Amino acid sequence: MNKTFTSRLEELLGSRKVLSSESELLCYSYDATPLTSFKPDAIVRAYNEEDIQKVLEFATQENIPVTTRGSGTGLSGGSVPVKGGIVLVTTAMNKIVEIDSEDLSVTVEPGVITANLHSAVEALDLFYPPDPGSMKISTIGGNVAENAGGLRGLKYGITGDYVMSIDTFLVDGSKVRYGTKCVKDVAGYNMTKFLVGTEGTIGVFSKIVLKLVPKPKTKKTFLALYDDVIDAARTVSTIISRKVIPSTLELMDQSTVNCVEDYSQIGLPRDVAALLLIETDGHPAVVAEEANVIEEACKANNVRTLKMARSKQESDELFTARRMALSALARSKPTTILEDITVPRPAIPEMMALIREVAGKFKILIGTFGHAGDGNLHPTCLTDERDLDEIHRVHEAYEIIFDKAISLGGTISGEHGTGIAKSKYLPRMVGPKAIELMRRIKACFDPTGRLNPGKIFPIER
Amino acid sequence: MRKHLNPDDIALALSTLDVHDYGDVLQCMRCGLCLPTCPTYRTDGVETQSPRGRVALIKAVIDGKMKASEEFVDHIYHCLDCRNCQTVCPAGVRAGELVLEARYRIEENRTQPLIKKFLLNYAILDQKRLAKLLAPLKIYQISGLQALVRKYDILKLISDDLQFMEALSPKLPAHPLSEQIPEEIPALGVERGRVGFFLGCAMNLIFADTSRATIDNLNRAGFRVIVPKEIQCCGTPNIAEGERKIYREMAENTIRIFADRRVDYVVTDCAACGSELKTYREIFRKNPTFSGKAEEFSNKVRDVSEFLDSVWTPDIKLGPAPEIACFHDPCHLRHGQKLTSPQRNLLNRIPQLDYRELPDEGQCCGSAGIYNITHRNRSMKILQSKIEAIEKTKAQTVISSNPGCLMQLSYGAAHWNKAWNIVHISEVLNRSLRAGEKTG
Repeated sequence: MNKTFTSRLEELLGSRKVLSSESELLCYSYDATPLTSFKPDAIVRAYNEEDIQKVLEFATQENIPVTTRGSGTGLSGGSVPVKGGIVLVTTAMNKIVEIDSEDLSVTVEPGVITANLHSAVEALDLFYPPDPGSMKISTIGGNVAENAGGLRGLKYGITGDYVMSIDTFLVDGSKVRYGTKCVKDVAGYNMTKFLVGTEGTIGVFSKIVLKLVPKPKTKKTFLALYDDVIDAARTVSTIISRKVIPSTLELMDQSTVNCVEDYSQIGLPRDVAALLLIETDGHPAVVAEEANVIEEACKANNVRTLKMARSKQESDELFTARRMALSALARSKPTTILEDITVPRPAIPEMMALIREVAGKFKILIGTFGHAGDGNLHPTCLTDERDLDEIHRVHEAYEIIFDKAISLGGTISGEHGTGIAKSKYLPRMVGPKAIELMRRIKACFDPTGRLNPGKIFPIER
Repeated sequence: MRKHLNPDDIALALSTLDVHDYGDVLQCMRCGLCLPTCPTYRTDGVETQSPRGRVALIKAVIDGKMKASEEFVDHIYHCLDCRNCQTVCPAGVRAGELVLEARYRIEENRTQPLIKKFLLNYAILDQKRLAKLLAPLKIYQISGLQALVRKYDILKLISDDLQFMEALSPKLPAHPLSEQIPEEIPALGVERGRVGFFLGCAMNLIFADTSRATIDNLNRAGFRVIVPKEIQCCGTPNIAEGERKIYREMAENTIRIFADRRVDYVVTDCAACGSELKTYREIFRKNPTFSGKAEEFSNKVRDVSEFLDSVWTPDIKLGPAPEIACFHDPCHLRHGQKLTSPQRNLLNRIPQLDYRELPDEGQCCGSAGIYNITHRNRSMKILQSKIEAIEKTKAQTVISSNPGCLMQLSYGAAHWNKAWNIVHISEVLNRSLRAGEKTG
């Protein structure tokens, strides 16, 4: 775009908030999604609500797109400006406005880092459970926009389950507040829940109220090692069918275990076919009882060894190692393409078997890890973007994996969002009528399609 | 800004870069795990000031998608080279080393200013030359001129930067350590081995008393200490500024000097020197005639804490130090040499020392060679965070083991009015050893 465009933006907001050099445009052209890069025309760092309002009004006058961005750690391309325009960065709006320990809620600006929120509330013996893999740098605004999950999803739910109220700026710069701090609130349509997971296509969040829960009193962490990945998958279904919901139930296959061990060197055995990381938390009596059931379920499914973490440090090491899984997988090949399918838990063994079969058929390397406890798997292709033939085979393999997930009653995305990466598969999953309805809703809020264009809806060609 | 920059030449030089040597630029999957650890991302909050941003910029220039402009070059020099990003990257991308490689390619392709040539290609080759360069500063301090200047803020009238550099300058010893000690100092008690001591420039010329304590600690642990006086700089300043020719010459020279002395170990009390000496093996890896010698040399190099922690016997007598203390990890120790436990093991052995961990341990203090002069504003913001972190521990004694960190922390303490005792770990250990001897 032209110079006058950025200089007018600078006049409006002050030059320190506007970035537009060649290097800056490049560094805001991507997030953590592979093979995805589109440059914006300018970047604005919002410091307050007034900045958000000014940017949206300016973009309306100029008729240009606005893509909201937190720390840019998304895995479906949600913060990548596909059609250029302004990237609106909210990381500088990072105040925890209020922790209400009387009524168990916290009010935050969208740029608060997830892990910082964790430590702030845990210091008061409170708990905010959603813990996406990128929590050390991801922002709450981004978590809400993508409805991020995490390791504790199966027992505690995901980001959306904790959102009580959102202040949102609409595309024309006007502001609405949906929701309250009340546990019960059925006034009108539940627009708060609707806004969660809209990936920046409906509005820009400026303030978010989240529900808190009491911090669990105690926990036990197990590491279960298997010689067959299917046995590990069966253990998951067994634990659930015996009416125990652990706070964490994570799976890593052999490729993942090896990459993680290469980086973390915490002594994970490299020869296992799969491992499960299991944690139960809560009242000590309940934890003890659940630990017994977990142990029995592991033994019933040919576990090779079952170890319990002896200290908080040992347990933290295991969790950190699991959170590193995706990035650690990247060390083995130049390009890492991961997916986010989710299936009903009894179908996990069948899904894992298919992934293994497809990897063999297309001669590609797939490392699988994920939140097996909630059926959310991350089959990750380790490939090389320069090898076009292999990239083609990777896409073919994913087609089959997606179809299988859908046929098992699962979904194409459990927690990463649709974005650009999965928009192609959305119609297949929800059908044309549902897409049409979604488009009509989008048009109500954003008739000219300027808020994060190119996301969720398949691009029409 | 310097002229004579040819973007095309730089791009060409970068295009030949063997990215596979750096954990493969392509391997950066842009997950962003490096962002919260990067000091410049923490101060500036923008992607261009982050490791993944720097990797993306270098990749764009290599791929011909972006020019190697003045802006690009500036970004390459914004990195402090703390290597925290390399410690945390699960994919094994060596973003810090990649930045140094880019600097080298840049400097090969632009004219070097005279002052830089003088310092990196001449002054640094001989510590006596460096000592002469510092002479005016010494006269200035001894003559009482310093007291007058500081009292009346005279330098502020001339230049704010000059005043800052004056405030940063430490009190110099009367003579460099190399002029105070013999070349060989025998062990106390039964001799357990021969240790070559690498006397770094800053330690020799500024922290002479500290290195004297280091040598005494080594003697007391049962080692004969050999201090070659003809030693040159380790080359860290050259590498940081993209200079490699003189660097290699000095490295070769250092390796030969210690090989001639037939030492069992090479110990240094400067974290930056230690980190550099340990990488000599990488520098000469592709040189068939010298790679063996370089490998042998680097294998012998130990940081002073690393060495003492491995040789101190359980019966060593230590006197009490009833104070609250914290340790600031120099980046060259924690991220460069991946050493975190030896210094803690040693300090925890001192009776009555209340050792406390710094919040956000592993964060740079902003010294980073001459970064505090070349990028003063950002360096001061980074330092302020460090000062605040130290404050939280309520420490009375702030311990570190790198001259740059010690100077930066001392400046910070004076600037923010903190009455801390800022000291090298060698001096803390020496005091405790001497006290232990008296009581024992």
